[in-house]
Order: sequence, then C-alpha cells, then structure tokens
Amino acid sequence: MNPIGLTKGPGESQHEFTFVSPDRHDALKVGEFILHRAEIDGEERDVLSRVTSRAPLRLYPDGFLAAPEIDPDDVAAVFGYGGAGHERFEMTAAVIGYYDERLGDFINPRIPPRAGRPLYLAPDDLLASVLSKVSVNGQGAAHIGSLLSRESGRVPLALDLRAVTSTHLAIIANTGAGKSYLAAVLLEELMKPNNRAAVLIVDPHGEYGTLAEMMGHEAFVEPDYSPDVRVFRPGDVKVRTAGLTIGDLSYLLPNLSERMEYLLRRAHRDVTRHSLQEKGKPDRWTVAELLIRLRQLGEGGDNEDEAPDDRYAGTAEALIWRLESVIKGATIFDDFEHLDLAELFRPGRCSVLQLDEVDSRQQQIMVATLLRRAFRARTQTEKGAVAEGDELYLPYPVFLLIEEAHHFAPASVDVVSTQVLKQVLSEGRKFGLAVGLISQRPGRLDPDALSQCNTQFLLRIVNPIDQARVAESVETVGRELLSELPALTKGQVIVAGEAVNTPVLCRVRSRHTPHGAESPDAPALWRKWFSGDKKRRKKARPAGKEEGDEALFT
Amino acid sequence: MIVGKIIQSNAHNDYVCQIYQRDEVESPPAREDYAFGRFVRIRLDDDRALIGLVYDTRLFNPEFGRLGPRLSPQEDLQVFAPDYLREKATLIGIAAIGTIEGDGVSQGLPTLAADTDALVETMTDDEVRAFHLDGEAMRLAYTPGLLATDSAHVLPLMLNVLERLTALLPEQAAMLALLKDEIQWKAAVAPLGGER
Repeated sequence: MNPIGLTKGPGESQHEFTFVSPDRHDALKVGEFILHRAEIDGEERDVLSRVTSRAPLRLYPDGFLAAPEIDPDDVAAVFGYGGAGHERFEMTAAVIGYYDERLGDFINPRIPPRAGRPLYLAPDDLLASVLSKVSVNGQGAAHIGSLLSRESGRVPLALDLRAVTSTHLAIIANTGAGKSYLAAVLLEELMKPNNRAAVLIVDPHGEYGTLAEMMGHEAFVEPDYSPDVRVFRPGDVKVRTAGLTIGDLSYLLPNLSERMEYLLRRAHRDVTRHSLQEKGKPDRWTVAELLIRLRQLGEGGDNEDEAPDDRYAGTAEALIWRLESVIKGATIFDDFEHLDLAELFRPGRCSVLQLDEVDSRQQQIMVATLLRRAFRARTQTEKGAVAEGDELYLPYPVFLLIEEAHHFAPASVDVVSTQVLKQVLSEGRKFGLAVGLISQRPGRLDPDALSQCNTQFLLRIVNPIDQARVAESVETVGRELLSELPALTKGQVIVAGEAVNTPVLCRVRSRHTPHGAESPDAPALWRKWFSGDKKRRKKARPAGKEEGDEALFT
Repeated sequence: MIVGKIIQSNAHNDYVCQIYQRDEVESPPAREDYAFGRFVRIRLDDDRALIGLVYDTRLFNPEFGRLGPRLSPQEDLQVFAPDYLREKATLIGIAAIGTIEGDGVSQGLPTLAADTDALVETMTDDEVRAFHLDGEAMRLAYTPGLLATDSAHVLPLMLNVLERLTALLPEQAAMLALLKDEIQWKAAVAPLGGER
C-alpha cells in the first residue's frame, strides 16, 4: 500500500489534523476515508480518519490564467518552471478511530498522527467491513447503496435494521433530491427475504404504489417467502368514529366556540359512558348516537342535574351541522369498521396507506389514530394485557414510515398527531414500534421529533433554515459533513446515527421496483393534447367556432 | 586543478578567490572550472579543506573610470610597468558549505577558517558525490543556510546544484526532483505572484 499523503500538523480541533498530498489521481475527495498506522496499547492499529476539507497549496498567478486558450503550465514553463503535476493540496481530516471488533465500534485514540507520518487511502475491503455494522445481505441488513467517494458498488453500505427499528429514523431532503426514492429502497430492503419486516408507509401523495411490483420479483422471493404489498386507497381503511378522542373531534372542528366545545365534550362523555355501560367498551358508540345526544342537550331534555336549558339549542344545531358535514362527508370515518392492525401490520407485508384524496386534517387524525392504536397494541401485547384474537394483539415489532412528516408534527404549532407521534418517538422503541419520518422541510418539523430519530438520512438541503434545523437536531453529523448538504446531488445521501458505525456519504443503489414519484412532464402532456384527435379539440372549442377561426372579438 | 587563491573574506563562510591568469600559472583554469555553481575545495593544510560553492563572479579592473588620455602607449607600459596588467582580475565568491577531513566530510557552516592565499581547486565528480552521501542516504544539510541568505542568486544556485546532483546521483532522482520542483516554483512562479 503506497502512502497518499503526509501529516502536516494540527487541525482546528483536537481530533483533526492537516496533511499534504499531491493527490495525482483525485482520490482524496471530501468525505473519503484515509488511515494511518499507530501503536495503541502495544498493538499496531489502522486508525481511520475522514477527509473534511481540501485546498490547493500552489496557485498560479492570476496573470497566468488570463488567457483561457493558453495552458498556465506552458506560461510557467516560459518562466522556467517545468514542474509536471505541480499541484499539492492541504487537507484536513477528522480522526474517527480504529475499529474494535470486540466492541463493534470505532475507538478514538484521542491522539492525532504525528507530523510527517504517512497516510494511506483506506482499502475498499476494510471500509466495507467497518463502516457498516452488519454484512450486506445478512439478517437485519439493509443494503442501501455504496460509499460515494469510491466507484459505485466497490464499498457497499448496509444499515443495521435492528438499530433503525429500535431508534427511529429520519429522511430529510429538498424536493427532488431523492427522498422518496431512498425511502423506497429502504422499504425494498425491509421486505427482502433476509428481513421480512412488518411495515406501513403513510403515503399522502400516492407515490409508493409501485412497490407492489416487489411481489413475485426475483430479488424478493425465496421458496418459503414472497413479500406481500397491500396498497390501501382512501376509503379502504376506516377510523372508527368511536375511537376518536375529544381532542380529535375538537381538532376536526376548528374554531369551536366555548359553548360548542362544552356541548361536544359533554355529549362525547355521555356516549362514551353509555357505550361502556351497554356494550362493555367505551369506544362502541356511533355518530348517530352522538348527534342524538347533542340534540338532547340542546333541547335541555336531559335528566341530569346539571342539564343545560334550551339556550344551547342553536349551539347544538350548529355543532350537529358541522359534525355531519365533516364526519359524515369523510371517507375515512365509520361507525363500526376500524383500522385492522393485524391487516395493516404483518411480517412480510408492506402496507401502503395512500391518503392523496383525504383532507389534511383527516390525514392527521388518521395518522394520530394509527399511531395511538399501534402504540397501545404493542404496549398491551408486550405487557401480556391482550391475547391472540384481541383487536389490539400485535405480537411483533412494526415499522411505520411517515411521508411529509412536517405535516404530522409541525414546528411551533401542535396538531392532533403531534403529541402521539412524540410519545411514540420517545417510548416506542421499548415496545418495538419504530417510526421513520420523511420530510422536505425540516425547518417546519418539530425539533423534538427530529432529534428523537437516531438514524438520519440527509440528502440535498439548500434552504438555510432547514440546514440550521438539521444542524440543531442531528448531533451525530459533524459540521464538515453538514456543509456538504447543499452540494449533494440526486441520490447522494449522508447516513449517520445508530445504524452505521460512522457518518458516511452514500450513493443510493438503484431500485428493484420502478419509481412512482416522478414529476409529470407538463410540456410533453400539453403537446400530446394537441396531437390528439380533432374531435376532442372541436369539443373544447366554443359552439359555432371552426378551426382556424381564431379571432377573439367578432 | 587549482583555479586560484583566497585573497579576502567577507564573512566566516564567504570567501573571495582570485582566479589565476595566463601569466601566473602554467596552465590557467578554464571558465568551466570556476563557473557559477561549481563545487571547489579550499585547502587548509595537507589533510583538511573547506568545501565551497561558487556563488558569484566579479571582474576587477582598476582602469575602469579613468577617463583621461594615457600618456604612454600600451607597448611601453608592458616594458616599464609590467605588474600593472595583473591588476585586472577575475574574482569569484565562494560560500563555504562544509569541511573535508581525511576521509570524513561534514556539511554546514565550517568551524575552521581558511587563510589568505589558500589554494582553491576544483572537485571531481566522485568527490562531489562523496560529499553528498552519508552511507546510501543523500545529504544537503548546507541548503537551509544558503536559502537563508538574501542573495538574488541563491535559487538559481540551488537549481544548478540540484541539476548536477541529479546527474551524479540517479538513485536519488525522485528526492531531487521534489526539491528541484520546490525551488523552481520559488524561483520562477512565486516572484510573479504564485502562491506558496
């Protein structure tokens, strides 16, 4: 192994150092891994460092560069300088440490290499074995791509799904940077025979339907296994209205007056109590019962001591009208059907919950209810409070991927799903309920929610506010890597956190299934309209007008 | 080959040598023998010598500036004042960069000084090679001392030295190329505004 550079001196911080290299083959990209040999506790170790910056040391005078058609090397030769490959670079590297196989992690030797020590480009096989916590294609591994600084495929990167599913993840990127693509790759890996996960993705834009092509695809099939992909369209999955909390109801009906709020709370309490008495469970009431109870309260015909008088009649009517218009008009609510957790979550099944035709508040209610029920199911199952056959019996860990997460846990304002999402993020890991947040606007995502995601995938982020939020919430990625964010191109991602041994710049692998989130080609579609049959265009033309009769005013 | 003798010093390691002329020795040195960048030896005694490097050349001419007409023709002067012609001289500046003592050599500022009239002689390729080798390793320990001077000639001087050593020590070509590149950049590009 030939040295690629020599240590120069200290860097800005204790774990950084500078080195000089001619780098004739442009091997030392920012993010590249280098190593030096050091004797640690009497043992020769390969200590890994990451290149964090590079700057050329020798710069030609501006005058040499004034004529683009003349090579500055030729100008220098005129003055007597004949150095071929004169360039040399000063680079900064941050020490990561040596890999300790017993601990399965990097140990920082806490001492940078001495000046003049040779540095080597870390070999592919070494990186492949130490960057990932698990081996590619092994159980619990998600092969998401390869190291960006090396040729595609030379250093494959595998995530430790055990870490991902126990500490949550976040995929953060600008629109068009490839976050849906990456999420789909991750889902593909989760559904491969070596993992067979129980996954659900909340898909507000209907982008993940193409995952259904995993079924029967050779990359996913083994003699005893084939993944099952269920796409749930709006209307396929219902939220039982009786499962809605008073908070949910208030959220569905924004800007309620205090009187309305009072009546609603009262009616909800009554129907819940009645349901418990009559049907043995508090969440078996129907919308009709709630409306009847509201009407009774409005009419003052209640037998209770604190019954309102008919001053509430108008309020009750208004409330009933709003409830009917919201709940009865929505496709996601039903009196009897409920989210069937065993149907939505099952090992080897990827459920795609498409919500693209659902009102945004109802989407939030749907996600809040889903999270609440999944969390309750997992906690009760783990505690042995429910048995097989119970609707809350969920005897395996589940993973929930939420697209447009800033919509379900926005910063600076609480929506109905915020609290339950935060609860799941903080407590779900103990009960095998993992969440993945996908967002294009981290600046609008609740910072607590983002900071609870201990595996991060950061794609291109240009907006300074979004960058600041990421820097604030994602502690594992150093500022040098974060500075790469605006420069990343499509399919390039910084992976950091629990699922990898050290933050890495990764090139996302190609999907096995087609991508479903392409933007429509508007100009092509416009032209296609014109190339269509004349009848259609004639139909679109006002009556009495003929083709070629283009005058606007006649 | 003796090229001249020390006539003066400007500093402990900076000597002036007067080059022998035609009527002073039987075979006067050729121009190449005292050229810029040549390694020379300044004799101290039978066993010891200073190693020097020719870094400057000056022509001494007392007649320069005497603008009035001569009363005697040139032919008469050769008869009546023959020593007058020898007042024109070629002087070279020699930087002492090391010492040779028996078979041993040391590089850097010499501790010993040469005397006036000490003889200055050329060095063979083998002697130059031996002066720069410490076992198999090349040594150029005098370089920092030279580069520390503010002479405008020091970079071309070093390039000249490195050029010669490249021919003499082909096994050190990579190291010499690195040094030469560094000096060349400083000599050719940095003065024009190139950085580092």
